[in-house]
Amino acid sequence: MKRQNVGQIRILEAFLAVLIIFSAFAVSANLTITRSNMESDDLASVGLQALMQLDSDGGLSKLIDEEDWVGLRETLSLTLPAGTSFNMTVYDEQMQQVNPTLISNGALIGQKTAFVEYVCVSRKPLFRCYVIHLQLAVAK
Amino acid sequence: MKAQKSKLAANSSGQLLIVTALVIAILISSTAAYIYELGMETNNTPTQSISNFVLALKASTRNAVISSLVNVSNGGEKTTLAANLNELSQLFASIRNIGFCNLNFTVPNDAQYDSGTRISWNTNTGVSSAYVNFALSVYGIAENVTVNYAINITTATTIGGYFIKTEGDGKLVNLTCKVYNEGKPALAKNMSVFYENLGSWIPANASNNLSMVDYGDGTYAISFTADVPSETVHVLVKVYDMRDIFVQAEAFCNEF
Repeated sequence: MKRQNVGQIRILEAFLAVLIIFSAFAVSANLTITRSNMESDDLASVGLQALMQLDSDGGLSKLIDEEDWVGLRETLSLTLPAGTSFNMTVYDEQMQQVNPTLISNGALIGQKTAFVEYVCVSRKPLFRCYVIHLQLAVAK
Repeated sequence: MKAQKSKLAANSSGQLLIVTALVIAILISSTAAYIYELGMETNNTPTQSISNFVLALKASTRNAVISSLVNVSNGGEKTTLAANLNELSQLFASIRNIGFCNLNFTVPNDAQYDSGTRISWNTNTGVSSAYVNFALSVYGIAENVTVNYAINITTATTIGGYFIKTEGDGKLVNLTCKVYNEGKPALAKNMSVFYENLGSWIPANASNNLSMVDYGDGTYAISFTADVPSETVHVLVKVYDMRDIFVQAEAFCNEF
């Protein structure tokens, strides 16, 4: 009877060993998932840096001053990484929406989303400030 | 004795398997945890977010100073700078994206600067400048950041030259004009040249065979002809840099 049970115990032990190793993998995978949740902050950072890059030579405020919404959409599409979809809204100092049409490169489809708020100051002699709300999404 | 030993080894091989699996699992878990911690250190997101936010606000203050200098250099009031920055400060206070923002600034009033701006358009050199000291505080959820910094926006030009006599009162004037932004060579967006004749400024244009050579490094070679009876030619060059900041300088040209 004892001899017969040895084989079953071996199988049980092997299962236990496999279970232990796979539990380690499961823990590691969970850690990776937690890490990727934080990537929405990275996306916001990418969005903010794109706006800063456009604004570094006053180009962003120039496009807004000239109400060139198509140009703004195209420029932002080129600046943001491929596969990033965005919705942009421009407000004046009284938080009244400036852009009459939606500045977007498509529907915000993606698992990672981020929101960026940016203050854009016009370089024109007549002082003007704009508050830009940029929503970003990227498919994983 | 030997048989007993091998029997014992055979009986405990399963436990050995479990122990080995446990060791491997610990190794996998600790490696994953280490990589995760390393990633956390390099991507310390709250700090990165707030520092990026501060950088963005600094960029906005810089543009506000440029806008004010464009205004003042084109004839606006010197108080424009402080007024614009007050307006910007109020806007910053209304932003609640990362935290509460507080922008304080001081504009120097000394021998060089008046309300933070300096308009010094003289012979051979012209300077249009704005200087502001900022203290920007961001009170975030995770941390507070206070940054002290100064913004100096300066557009300067230098002019020098000579003339060669042609016929009668005719003179061929050659000028070298240099443009600087914050002390570094910069390009001009627009440049116009005038010369003084009988107490009035005459614009040099195509009828004066005006020629401007842009060397691409902020240096411009200008030449034109003028009928001026005086022994020296008094010239004035007006420059708009790429940011629309205006600066001008005069020069007295003597015969080469």
